[in-house]
Amino acid sequence: MNVADSPLVADGVTLAYDRLVVARDLDLAVAPGSFTVIIGPNGCGKSTLLRALARTLAPREGRVLLDGAPIDRMRSKDVAKRLALLPQGPIAPEAITVGDLVARGRYPHQGILRQWSAADARAVDAALRATEVDDLRERFVSDLSGGQRQRVWLAMALAQETDLLLLDEPTTFLDIAHQVEVMDLCARLHAEGRTLVAVLHDLNQAARYATHLVAMRDGRVVAQGAPADVVTEPLVQEVFGLASRVVPDPETGTPMVVPLRRTVPGSVQDQVVL
Amino acid sequence: MSTAVEPVTAEAAVLPGPRTVRVASGPDGSRGLVLVWRRRPLVVCVVALVVAVAAALVTITAGELGIPLSELPAVVAGQGTRIQHWVLYTTRLPRLLVGAGAGAALAVSGAMFQSVTRNPLGSPDVIGLGAGAAAGAAAAGLVWPGVVPVPVGAVLGAFVAVGAVWFGSGSGFSRPQRLVVVGIAVGAMALAFVQLALARASREDALVIAQWLNGSLAARTWADVRLIVAALVVLLPLALLLTRPLQVVEMGDEAATAVGVRTDPTRTRAVLVAVLLTAAAVSVCGPVAFVALTAPQIARRLTRSSGPGMVAAACTGAALLVVADLVAQYALPEQQLPVGIVTAGLGGVYLVFLLVREFRRSAV
Repeated sequence: MNVADSPLVADGVTLAYDRLVVARDLDLAVAPGSFTVIIGPNGCGKSTLLRALARTLAPREGRVLLDGAPIDRMRSKDVAKRLALLPQGPIAPEAITVGDLVARGRYPHQGILRQWSAADARAVDAALRATEVDDLRERFVSDLSGGQRQRVWLAMALAQETDLLLLDEPTTFLDIAHQVEVMDLCARLHAEGRTLVAVLHDLNQAARYATHLVAMRDGRVVAQGAPADVVTEPLVQEVFGLASRVVPDPETGTPMVVPLRRTVPGSVQDQVVL
Repeated sequence: MSTAVEPVTAEAAVLPGPRTVRVASGPDGSRGLVLVWRRRPLVVCVVALVVAVAAALVTITAGELGIPLSELPAVVAGQGTRIQHWVLYTTRLPRLLVGAGAGAALAVSGAMFQSVTRNPLGSPDVIGLGAGAAAGAAAAGLVWPGVVPVPVGAVLGAFVAVGAVWFGSGSGFSRPQRLVVVGIAVGAMALAFVQLALARASREDALVIAQWLNGSLAARTWADVRLIVAALVVLLPLALLLTRPLQVVEMGDEAATAVGVRTDPTRTRAVLVAVLLTAAAVSVCGPVAFVALTAPQIARRLTRSSGPGMVAAACTGAALLVVADLVAQYALPEQQLPVGIVTAGLGGVYLVFLLVREFRRSAV
C-alpha cells in the first residue's frame, strides 16, 4: 500500500492515556476507497488508534496525516469537512429532534453569520434518506430504539458530507438484526464511494464487510490485507488466543471463525447428571 | 439569480424547525447573513419581556409614594413633582434596571454553566460560585474590614472559588462530572468560612452581611445600573457567539471534535464569560439565589428547545428577578424581604410546576 495515495495515515504514532501507553510507534495507511476494519482483542488499542485517526486523541509522538498534511495543524472545521466520526456513546442533548440533531453535522459548513444554507438543507435531507430515518424527523431522539438512534447518529456524520467516515464499534449494544442493518448501511455508503474505517468486535462481521482487515494485538498491527488472507486459524490463535476452525461463510464465502469445542471443567460436556 | 436561495426558504417554511432570516445573499447564496430562528423561543422572549415591563409598571405605581400610571408620562416628560422625580429616578428605576440586568446576567451564566457541565444542577449556585462570592463578601466585610469593598470581595471570592474548582478537578474544565462534584466541595468549604466569619462577628456587622448574603436590590444607584449594563453589553454578545459551539459540546467531546469544535477552548471561554456575568450580578445585588439555576431551565421548558437558549434565558431571568423584587417589596406589610428569598420561593415553585407537568406527560 502506497502511503502517498492514502487519505489517512498514522505515521509512527505513540498513543497514551495519561501514563498508560497503549501503542508505540504504530504505522497505518488507510487505502483510498477501502472499507477498512480494525479488529483485535479488548485493550489492544484499536479504538485508541481510531481516535487518533479522528484527532479526538492527540498522539504523544508521531503524527497523523490527512491527505498528506499533519492533521493537528489543520483548522478543526476543515478537518471536519473531510473526515466524519461516529464515536462510541455520543450524548443526545435533552429534548432534541432527529432533524435538529442531524443538522448539527452541518456545523463545520456553517459560520456565525451563516447559520443555514440551501446546501445544509440538502445535506440533511440526503443523510436522513440514506439512513432511512426521514420519517422520524420530528421525533425526539430520546424516544427512539437503539437501532434507530444509531442510524440517526450515522446520519449526523453523513450530513458532514465527508469522503472519509470513521466508525467506533458502530454495532455494539445492538441486537443482531440491527447490527446487520447498520453494517449493510455501511456497505452501501462504501459502495457509493466513501472510504470507511471501522473498529469492530465481531470477527465474522468484520470478515464479511471489510475490503481490508487490520488485526491488532498489544498496540501492534499483527497482520493486514484482504479478509481471506488475514483471517486464518493461526492468526486467530495468535491475535485472540483462540483455537478455531475457519470455514467459508455459507452466505458470502468470506472466512468465518468457528471456535473449537473445549472441555472445560463444569461445562455442559463435562457435567455428570446426578 | 435568487433561485439558488429559494429552496431553503421554501423548505424552512414547511418545517416547524429552523426558519432563516436573510439580510443579504450573493448570487449563489454563499455570501451574506443567514440567521436561524424559531417561533416558539421568540414568543417566549416577547412574553417574558411583557411580564417584566408589566411588573416594572406595577412597581412604579405601587405604594404610598407610587406614581399613578396616568401621571407617569408627565413625570417622564419632566413635569411631575420633585418627590415624584425622586421616587422614579433615584429609587425605583435604578432598582428595576439593576434587577432586570442582574436577572439576565445570572440566567445567561446559569445557562452556560449548565451546558458546560451537561447537568441542570451545574449552575453557579451549586458549583461553589455563589458560596465563593459569599465567602469573599464575608472576608471583605467581617474578617478584614476596610481592605476592599464588600462587592469587590464577592467578585474576588467568586474567582477564587472557580480557580479552586479548576485546580481541584485536576483536568481543568474538561471533565464536566468532576466539575460538579469538586464545585459542591468548594461551595461547602466556602459556606463553612462564611459561618465562621458570622459567628465571630459582632451582631450588627453580622446582620448587615447576612442581609447582603441573601441578595437584595434595596437602595441601588445609577452606578450599579452602569456596571451591570456595561457587563451585559460586553459579555452577552460573547455568550451568543459561544452558544452554537456549546450546543455541540453537549453531545460529548468526541462527537463535538468530530464536527470541528475545539472543546477545551470553548469550555474555558464559556466558564470565563459565565463567571464574569455572575460576578457582575453579585457585585450589584449580592448572590441572589436560584435565578441562575431556575431561569435557564424555565426558559428551556417554555421554549421546548434543546440546548442553552441564551436570549430566552436572559429574558426569563430578567422577568423572574423583577417580579420577585415586586413581591419582596409588597408581600409582607411593613417589611421588605430580601429578594433572594423570593426568587428561591417563586422560581423553585414554578420550576417544580413545569417539571411535574413534564414528568406527567412523559409518563403517559
